[in-house]
Amino acid sequence: MNYEHCIRCTICVENCPVFRVNPLFPGPKQAGPDAQRFRSDKERIEDDWVLLCSQCKRCEMACPCGVEPAQIILREQQRYGREHPQTKTHLLFANNYYLSALGSLAAPLANLIAATQTGKKLAGKLGISTHISFPRFSFRTLRHERMKQSRTAKKVAFFHGCFINFYRPDIGRKIIRLFAAFNVDVVLPPQWCCGLPALGNGNLALAKHFAQKNAASLSNYIDAGYDIVYSCTSCGLCLLHDYPGILEIPQAKKIAENCYDVYEYLLKLMEEGYAQPKFGELPRRVAYHIPCHLRALKIGYPAAKLMALIPGLEYEILDDACCGLSGSYGFKKENESTAIQLGQRAVSLIRKTEAQDIVADCGSCRMQLGGLSGMATYDPAEILCESLGITAK
Amino acid sequence: MRVNEYDAVVIGAGVAGLAAASFLAEKKLKVAVVTKGEPTACLSTGAVDVCSQGDEPLAAIQKLPPEHPFRLVDEETIRSALNKFQQTVNAAGLPYIGSVEKNRFILTALGTFKTSCLVPVTMEASPQNASESLHIVTFRGLKDFYPGYIISRRKNAKFSVYDAGVSTTMSLAAHFEEKNFFEKFLLWLEKQNIYQDKIAFPAVLGLESAAEIVKTISILAGRPVFEIPTLPPSMPGRRLFNALKKTLRDNGGDIYWSWPVTGIEAAEATIEAVTTRSDGRPASINGKAFILAAGSFIGGGLTVTRHGIQENIFHLPVHIPGSRETWFDDNYFSMNHGIGRVGIAADAAMRPIGTSWKNIFVCGSILAEAQILKNGCGHGLALATASAAAKSCAEYLAR
Repeated sequence: MNYEHCIRCTICVENCPVFRVNPLFPGPKQAGPDAQRFRSDKERIEDDWVLLCSQCKRCEMACPCGVEPAQIILREQQRYGREHPQTKTHLLFANNYYLSALGSLAAPLANLIAATQTGKKLAGKLGISTHISFPRFSFRTLRHERMKQSRTAKKVAFFHGCFINFYRPDIGRKIIRLFAAFNVDVVLPPQWCCGLPALGNGNLALAKHFAQKNAASLSNYIDAGYDIVYSCTSCGLCLLHDYPGILEIPQAKKIAENCYDVYEYLLKLMEEGYAQPKFGELPRRVAYHIPCHLRALKIGYPAAKLMALIPGLEYEILDDACCGLSGSYGFKKENESTAIQLGQRAVSLIRKTEAQDIVADCGSCRMQLGGLSGMATYDPAEILCESLGITAK
Repeated sequence: MRVNEYDAVVIGAGVAGLAAASFLAEKKLKVAVVTKGEPTACLSTGAVDVCSQGDEPLAAIQKLPPEHPFRLVDEETIRSALNKFQQTVNAAGLPYIGSVEKNRFILTALGTFKTSCLVPVTMEASPQNASESLHIVTFRGLKDFYPGYIISRRKNAKFSVYDAGVSTTMSLAAHFEEKNFFEKFLLWLEKQNIYQDKIAFPAVLGLESAAEIVKTISILAGRPVFEIPTLPPSMPGRRLFNALKKTLRDNGGDIYWSWPVTGIEAAEATIEAVTTRSDGRPASINGKAFILAAGSFIGGGLTVTRHGIQENIFHLPVHIPGSRETWFDDNYFSMNHGIGRVGIAADAAMRPIGTSWKNIFVCGSILAEAQILKNGCGHGLALATASAAAKSCAEYLAR
């Protein structure tokens, strides 16, 4: 974690979205490398402010010296979670996967309750913020999809993650159709929550449990010759960064070597000359909001490169502002004000571009930005499909 | 089709790197900037010093020693690089005032004058002599700015303190961009008994809309308002970084963050790609030409070890004047430490001297003999050499 490499230059502090708006958080420099000098495994951790870090990783992206403040804080968050009783909210969000599965099964009812005043009051009692509406459960998850298989040369295993499966299977279907247009078959390997929500809520044991199950499943598919693709940038970051890191998954190296962002993979196919799609005209101006975790993946902005090939499409890249939601972080009552202030700043930057719509790779960014601005939000897959003339069934 | 192949790959996202990339992108070349972290420009005052060794920077440059990298660049290139800079940051919403023909002063947080050349519009009203009286507004608990330092040097200065409820430059800047906070602050300011010529603030007046905030306050207070740079986190430095970044994006350049170059791929005397370690597959970016703008020691372009000094990416020969004993003066605050002369020596085409690589150019503070502190040429040297390197690079690519 190299905390001794810190030269106290404060560039991480400049980049911390939480520090800008929440005076209770001492910032990545003090919460990370500075405080690390005084920490001991033999003492109980009492710094409850480590929980205020949203794990956006912007500090790590900015550090010129290779220190990883977010990683230092993440480990302290796990320690705090272990040494202190879990709150109801933390327990709920750590188990987001089971919660969503349940919600999907009872989708019509769950959506109805979530939208009522009673539902909102109940959320308030559980410490859940209702500043934007909770995503609607989808009764028919992506896993219900019957996959068509042709005999394509390349096959990918799609790690769709919870958001697409339980809330937006329509985007998942579009991604599958998009791959078909690139002459690639998609399978849906058995999978569970990537583990990031559990990590984010200080539940290392649960995160490890999910990660081990996923790793075994994905590893089998890699052995059978599949490449893994992910669409959710936070799932991707967890697979690539946390599996070999804090979660200590034995198959992590193999997974990381064979794991691609959807758009990174599509670009690779084009680079190799495997596919030559013809993008149709799409006269439109969009704001392309870059999720913090896409930045942290260190793969550049592959979807932007694909969108650049669409005639008539104008986009402006916005990578300075965190949307503030950070998955379950902004849904916790204690982070509500932070999330709203950050979200509003991001929205004001988007409005300056005079774009019609917002495009973002991450489902929770879209929820927050769409919810606060009232603008339409899209996954890059939806834009690409529209340009290629692909419609969802 | 090769999407991940670039005409030019620039290493470093500081003033030199972003400017060089923008110059090239403007010529419709495909450009990528790769960077390990955010640049030291974010920690700077945001002001562009050209050469502080006299009233007229261009004349002062001619008096620099012949080995100084500024002497590699002709006057016309320097002038046009700085004019171009002013135009582009203007277009990005961050006007810089001043002219390359004449230096000007900005008041520092210590109450001294710093000689600079092009300064952000929020520092336009910074006093140019000791006679103007000042009213300094500061904020309760702000640790990076003590008005007492200024008042001890300027007897005609007074100060007042506003309790903003927050006490860091970052959160103050965020608050100033909120309507309610700003209106409340203006009401408070109206009640202060301000009779001095000018009002000074630590540089916390917003991040995206500092120019408008300064203007609003000065209209309301009926006198000029200016910012004084603080210790880092430095808002003017970050505004400059954001403006340069936006310029590059608008010109179609790509930026790869957190992308420390750890290796190169080459065929004979031509570098073909730079590579980085990653969590999974090694990543590489292909380019036809490369510009090294990685900064010097703090920026991470150069490293000192027990065995010597090395350039970290291409292992170019490093120009080291004198033995280790001459690197540091006895006086810690000396502007003349020998180590300030260490760097990469280049020829007039901004190619590193003593290397067989054909397609590499160098610019910015990594250049040998720059002595940026002593000569007061931070950012100015970066812009001028970036322009020269971009020009040579474009000529190389056109062949």
